[in-house]
Amino acid sequence: MNSGLSIASETLSQLESARALALSDAAYYNQIVPGVLPIIGAGSNAIIELRRWGADFLAETFASPTLGLEDKQKLSLLVLETLRENLETVNDLGVVKSVVQAAASIYPLVFRHTILNPNDAQNWQIMAAIKSNILRRMDSAPPGVRICCIKFVQRVIQVETPGLIADPRRPEQNEISLALVPRDHPLIPPPNLEAEASGLLDRLLSILHEDTSDALLITATLNSLGTLIRARPAIANKILSAIFNFNPLKLANSPMTSRSKVMMKSIERTTRALLMNILKRNPESPATPRIQQYLERIHRMRLDVFDESNRKRSAPVEPTDGLDQSKRQRLGANVPADAISGPQVPSGPVSVAQLFTLTEEEGAKNFDVQAIPVEIVVKIIVPLLMTVDKTKMDSAINIIRSRYLALSKAQPPTTLDAAVAATRQQAIDEDEEYEPDFEPTEDAEQIVNKLDNAPPEGLLPERVPDAPLAPFKLPQAPPLSEQEIEDYGGGTVRRVFGVMSALDDPTSRAKAPKPGFNRLAASNYDRDAWVILISRLATRAATGLGDPMEKVDSEYKTLGRRGTFSVGNTIRDALYMYIMQDWRKRIDVATSWLSEEWYNDRIQLEAARAEAEDTNSDSNDLPTPTLHYHKWVLKLLDAILPYLESNDKIMIRFLSEIPDVDGDILQRVKRIAEDPERVGLTVNILHYLILFRPPVRDLCIDALEDLWRNYDGTKTATSKLLKKWRPEVLEQHQETPNGSFEEVKVQ
Amino acid sequence: MAADPRLAHARQQQQKLTATPPPPPPPISAQPDSTKMGLDSTNDERPQSDIVAKDGFKLKFCTVCASNQNRSMEAHLRLALSSLPVISFGTGTLVRLPGPSIHQPNVYSFNSTTYRAIHAELSSQNAALYNQNGLLPMLARNLNIKSYPERFQDWIPGKPRLDHSTDKGAPGTESGVVDVIITCEERCFDAVLDDLLNKGGKLNRPVHVFNVDIRDNHEEALVGGRAILDLALRLNECAAQEREIHGSEGWEGAGRSRAGFDERVPDILGEWQERWPNLPAMWTLAWF
Repeated sequence: MNSGLSIASETLSQLESARALALSDAAYYNQIVPGVLPIIGAGSNAIIELRRWGADFLAETFASPTLGLEDKQKLSLLVLETLRENLETVNDLGVVKSVVQAAASIYPLVFRHTILNPNDAQNWQIMAAIKSNILRRMDSAPPGVRICCIKFVQRVIQVETPGLIADPRRPEQNEISLALVPRDHPLIPPPNLEAEASGLLDRLLSILHEDTSDALLITATLNSLGTLIRARPAIANKILSAIFNFNPLKLANSPMTSRSKVMMKSIERTTRALLMNILKRNPESPATPRIQQYLERIHRMRLDVFDESNRKRSAPVEPTDGLDQSKRQRLGANVPADAISGPQVPSGPVSVAQLFTLTEEEGAKNFDVQAIPVEIVVKIIVPLLMTVDKTKMDSAINIIRSRYLALSKAQPPTTLDAAVAATRQQAIDEDEEYEPDFEPTEDAEQIVNKLDNAPPEGLLPERVPDAPLAPFKLPQAPPLSEQEIEDYGGGTVRRVFGVMSALDDPTSRAKAPKPGFNRLAASNYDRDAWVILISRLATRAATGLGDPMEKVDSEYKTLGRRGTFSVGNTIRDALYMYIMQDWRKRIDVATSWLSEEWYNDRIQLEAARAEAEDTNSDSNDLPTPTLHYHKWVLKLLDAILPYLESNDKIMIRFLSEIPDVDGDILQRVKRIAEDPERVGLTVNILHYLILFRPPVRDLCIDALEDLWRNYDGTKTATSKLLKKWRPEVLEQHQETPNGSFEEVKVQ
Repeated sequence: MAADPRLAHARQQQQKLTATPPPPPPPISAQPDSTKMGLDSTNDERPQSDIVAKDGFKLKFCTVCASNQNRSMEAHLRLALSSLPVISFGTGTLVRLPGPSIHQPNVYSFNSTTYRAIHAELSSQNAALYNQNGLLPMLARNLNIKSYPERFQDWIPGKPRLDHSTDKGAPGTESGVVDVIITCEERCFDAVLDDLLNKGGKLNRPVHVFNVDIRDNHEEALVGGRAILDLALRLNECAAQEREIHGSEGWEGAGRSRAGFDERVPDILGEWQERWPNLPAMWTLAWF
């Protein structure tokens, strides 16, 4: 015996050095594995130590990340027989565990070999024998072996379920799965394998639901499921549902020993880790809400099972370092939370102040909080709430709550309620059958019991009777009040403008080729398009809707304005505000809006005229449509003019682009000249209009003349223009004997 | 009888020495003996067999904390001194050590910055401060154990670790796998489980993952290190027993002592938790 052992130990040390060689360079496995097989393998009749070493070595070889897939596949065929023999003849936990591990690693390799060599029935049969041997052990073997069987089953399921084909052109890159098997494979027909995988999955998942409290099997199963969920979307849902039906805190019903507590915590944590891993890997998955729901549920259950004291680690009984002042536990610093009690609420009617008073101190009781200005209260309240001790706050709330409950039970809290109670009492007196019991007479538990016994509500009758259903009419909503109309309308308009501000980014107005005349307004989604849309909304959308009434209003101004809200005007107001917020940049908005207004006014007039001709009535008698252009041009001008600077070109451009210029507008322009610094600007504007707007040329020259005559300090600037356009004015003036002061100065 | 299996070796020795059976040794009470209580309220009586027999069966261990500096290294040292195979890791993204103030931690990268380099840098920065808060002594200890902090997530299980042969506790860990992982904080436990799930269990090799909640300071690390050693010795002893039982009776044996290692782990942990009630534990069976 002794000599046998020494020989064995000698062999073992040789084997160890061979293994060290393989560890240093994986290439050696190709020689070492065939070399050691006779020693450890089939028919060698080796002693148990050698068998164990061999099984461990094989498991290690096929798990090694340093050995390539092709090498492993070649080696796997060599060791198949050894594995089977060890599995069938050796009764040793260690050997069997390692053999099952090795088998789990080898299964995909032999599977792949069989796909590529559909005629090699022999090797596949050995593998199948190993598989059925392991499956037989799955339920009866000692737990240490069973966990390895679980992992083996997981590998088999993974292999025998179709996976994703990453790249059909490079089959060697693809993960080994059923998807690689041709439909007509003689040894491994896919439908059979798929069925087997499905059966094995059921078996694997049943471990979670058997009434087993074996944390070992459960955590081993849970930890092996992660790969399947991730790599096999086809069965992921089935696995997830099984997990959702799994209660990790099943052990809570058994007596709570230190062991069962640790196990329960461990199972719960393992479940959570698995689901969190799935969530993290694929946060967009459709299962996400269900996973979150489940996690929340087991979290609550855990809180129920382990009360606070169990979950938090208690302070050490003695300070770990008694001499270190900073480490010593501070005793007595904790004021007990239930210290607040406050004065008893007096019986009888109680004021709100009394209800909420928790202090005994007279000064604090009589302090009038209203003396503090609201702004200060707002400032201090948040920091104050943040510093309040939560336990104190909670206990204070509880005291108030209990007081309030006591009060509300004891007496009707207000006179109104007292009156209600009194009338109810009267009613009872009058009518014996009247039952004032609003509260259910049964207690909550009875009601719940009753509801439990009632038939489930969700069940539909066998057949819905085909009685005709009456047409359902949605009841008309109550009419909106003026205020509401204004609020909602205003809100809508604001939203419309919100889009504009989103589009206002100058970069979005890239240098697109100008579309020219041949284009559609508002056809591309940019700011200009939106401006046109808004201005047309303002000008045309509501046209004709409010007009007749407006006319009545204008006739009876004293009646006051009914229906102050008009969509058009609200939008106009908003547009006006929008332009004025940054009028230099948005002057083009103003131009295009005013053009729309002008066009709309023309159309209105046209329509009115047509109507007048139709009715053949006196044109004076007809309602004139409300015109907007004039009003809004003036309003805009009035708003802009004060801000104009002496060299602003914007006004020139604006006045040249708006569709209609009239005397009122020029009146405004003239008023710019009241400021001596901006005389030049006025003259420039007028000059431009004279040159480039022939229709209003006369009007402008009139304005120039007026300036010349009536505005001090404009003579110099205007005389040059007048000399060209209306020299007769200057001549007239020169004829008059007493020239003005200005004229003299110039000369 | 609640016999302390840690003392099994001692009992066996005793029985061998005395030919005639002496009066049985007094049963060891499961209740902590208050006269022998340590500061951590646990029985400080150590099993005599702290050092595992050289040629006996040994489980391979791995200790994990956040930065692979304090708790995992203390435990690493403990296990290595008991001649158990052990490696250690951190799960953080970076190695974080306290700096001059709470907002200025010293941050280093895993797998490249050696303990020696950190030690040199900190002692040049402010030797007095880092001596006083225990960082320099800790680093001095660490650089004698292994050369640099390693990150768990970067570890490739199964990749041979021949280049770590000079680390303490390296003998036995050459193949780059372990049987037991012990984390020192729930956060690390979660990180380890998450990472193992991500790695996908390609090795088909089971690994027992434990968490022992230890606060991250030097004193607690010492206590935790002892507790982890206690757990490791119990596990190792139990696994060694499994190797002793073989033959046909190994399968059919009904008694608890006949049961295999894996299924006894919950019992061992439950028992251990009673002995170390201040270090909340968790466990799961995961896959490499």
